[in-house]
Amino acid sequence: MFRGRAQAMGAVAATALVAATPALSAPRPPGLKPAVDSVEAGLWDLMDKAEREARQKAELNTDAALNAYVRDVICKVATEYCGDVRLYVMDRPFFNATMAPNGYSEVWSGLLLRCEDESELALVLSHEVTHFSENHSIEAHEADKRRRNATMVVAMGIAVVGTVAAAGSANPQSAQSIMDATSSLIDVVYLASISSYFRFSREHETEADIVGLRRMAAAGYSPQAGGTLWRGLIAETTTSDFKRVREQDTRLGIFDSHPLSPLRAEALDAEAAKLPAPTRVAANRHRAAIRPFLAAWLKDDLRRRDFGQTLHTIDRLSKAKEDLGVLNFYRGEALRQRGKAGDLANAALAYQAATEQADAPPAAWRELGEARRRTGDAAGAKAALATYLSRAPEADDAWMVRETLDALSKGD
Amino acid sequence: MRILRPLLAAAAVLALAACETIPKAPAGPYKAGASQVTLGRDWSDVSVLLAGGLKKVKVLSIDGPILNRLYITDGLAVGESLVKSPSKERPTPKLRAGMNSSERMEFVADSIAAMGYQRVETMKPRPAKFGEQQAVRFDITARTEDGLDVQGTALASEAAGKTAFVLFLAPAEHYFQASLPEVEKVMASARPAG
Amino acid sequence: MKRIIPIALACLWLAACTTTSTRVANKDGPKPPAGSQVLMLEPDVQLGLLTASGVTDPRADWSKAAKDNLTREIEAQLKTRAHGFKMIDPEGMMQGRTGQLLRLNGAVGQSIILFNYSGLSLPTKGKDFDWTLGEGVRELGAQHGAQYALFVNANGNYASGGRVAATIGMAMLGVSLPMGQQQVLASLVDLKSGKVVWFNVAIAGPNADMREPEGAKSLTASLLKDIPL
Repeated sequence: MFRGRAQAMGAVAATALVAATPALSAPRPPGLKPAVDSVEAGLWDLMDKAEREARQKAELNTDAALNAYVRDVICKVATEYCGDVRLYVMDRPFFNATMAPNGYSEVWSGLLLRCEDESELALVLSHEVTHFSENHSIEAHEADKRRRNATMVVAMGIAVVGTVAAAGSANPQSAQSIMDATSSLIDVVYLASISSYFRFSREHETEADIVGLRRMAAAGYSPQAGGTLWRGLIAETTTSDFKRVREQDTRLGIFDSHPLSPLRAEALDAEAAKLPAPTRVAANRHRAAIRPFLAAWLKDDLRRRDFGQTLHTIDRLSKAKEDLGVLNFYRGEALRQRGKAGDLANAALAYQAATEQADAPPAAWRELGEARRRTGDAAGAKAALATYLSRAPEADDAWMVRETLDALSKGD
Repeated sequence: MRILRPLLAAAAVLALAACETIPKAPAGPYKAGASQVTLGRDWSDVSVLLAGGLKKVKVLSIDGPILNRLYITDGLAVGESLVKSPSKERPTPKLRAGMNSSERMEFVADSIAAMGYQRVETMKPRPAKFGEQQAVRFDITARTEDGLDVQGTALASEAAGKTAFVLFLAPAEHYFQASLPEVEKVMASARPAG
Repeated sequence: MKRIIPIALACLWLAACTTTSTRVANKDGPKPPAGSQVLMLEPDVQLGLLTASGVTDPRADWSKAAKDNLTREIEAQLKTRAHGFKMIDPEGMMQGRTGQLLRLNGAVGQSIILFNYSGLSLPTKGKDFDWTLGEGVRELGAQHGAQYALFVNANGNYASGGRVAATIGMAMLGVSLPMGQQQVLASLVDLKSGKVVWFNVAIAGPNADMREPEGAKSLTASLLKDIPL
């Protein structure tokens, strides 16, 4: 639903960040409901509608354990708003989380895949909670109006506005055809006003960074997670297959118009040094929660076809020395699909490494066999393909593998 | 339920596709380059709306591309796609050299995902013929972003470095079954690029 | 001379009556017997205030009032035609087969807008209005004891005083700015055949302000004028 691209939101030149203590107005009281004739009530109503649609989306992840985990982290960092927030995990391979003023909140799988531990997730959620508690959305909407008034940018009709917005939006998965471009365009039109509520000012982002960090540290999480996560995201951007992405500033979330500069990470580090040491140590809770989805999410990530970023993500996930069967299999998949010089041989090594792990999917043997066949190792190929058939005798592609085996035998 | 937003879509389509006319693809032989099928009924050729300028990809429909779409391709070479890439940073799947049948299935599934469908899965691969050539026939399930279940079936065949596809997609509710007999005949009639 | 057009357009926006654009599957078909049950899905209504800058402030109170007014008027006007009326909230129906049928209705509605209202024509549809959800809809009919399903969506915005002034001001400069506009879409599905028997798009005129009971009455009368019930 919230799927505009950062580049459509207008780049803002990176300037030095002031990590001074942000001036805070009183945070919203829990259980807040706006007056019915207010602009804020209108915004809530719009968000209620967006939320109803989110519940029907194909990408909604309804797994009870995963939802309970993410919700638990939100409630730990925002105990007072626990009753106000309704969480939706979306299987979308992009780093994004949002929290609308009515409490409708989305966390995307691409974000869960990229958080190394619970503290990093706590940090992102605390950041969003701060936008929520400080009513940044409504301020963003008012600022949007002021900006438009000041510059006399006049909309030439909703369809035209939509066309312009869509032209720059390069929807992640759509825009392949007029029909698809149109369907994304409709969302852009419908969400044009919604997205303005998530385009926060630099001051709001700084406030969310620092107040969010204090919030998660107060909940016992490691405040060092801020710098670690930000630097991880910046590092991933540099591994992109695409020059434009590599040269583009990294952003936290797709609506974010303010780059994640190293300065922002330094500001977080400086603040973290002032905060108490963590009291929560639950290193593997995050990995345990996302483990059942690793394969599906990596497959989604591959469909972005930015193999450098996917490989980087797999490397980060591999550092914990867990799930190496699945991770090596998808490393092989990324290399095979990228198909640059040397990739096939490295794919064979990755598939081989996968098959040495207890959690290797049967397909690892099929792909290992295929990679060996293509690199001229007929005997190794036959052994791997035979293992595949013995491990997955009922696979619906078994006949295809048998055909390959027959051809290999004839070739001897 | 969201029948309102399409009103805006209509305005946008007018802006984007003004003056485009959708030609009829009458019952009988239909050619996509050197690939040829025999249509058992009239179809509308919506390539102008969906193919994004890819000359080797034809898209036919009966009730409009939201309700049914039939892709028929000329032989695609290495590096060519079924779906037009919207930008350099949003590449769509391209054919690679030396792909096997399971990679051709993966190519079709990833291309369908690139069209904007969600939860795309392939299943039940079976040996088939594309004219005289060996081919793989398989089924597809997917969902639109709004959660409408979509079914599909596809035929893929490679010869002399050229790969041809016939792919049908339609909502599982009513539309897929309604056109399946016609699609079966079209697939049975398919002759690949020479 | 060129300046006259935007000015005229701006004036048209201010003066137009409610306009409707109807499509009917079988113009001379028999009307259903009195006492037929019509299942109406709670209309989706989204209204807002179009501010001078072109940003729309969503207004929950207007959306709610318009939804209540429209629902009440549709019920009253269907009952004068001696048909039964039942309204349901689609929210609880999005699972399983009914959820698929409602989503398919959305997909068919999109296709109707594309090929019956946008000037784009599909050779396989010709001149007839011929759209269906298939016979699966019988399940929906059986569940609710209904013969027809009526879908209504409304959305739009109302220009603020500042927007009206900006529009007229810009018109003088030769630039046409859209004023507030509200539209209602409605479709009627036969729950036996699955056919979309009637489809209408109404653009509200100034005397048809759905936020007010009288306006909603006028708008509903225009909307349902030729519904084959």
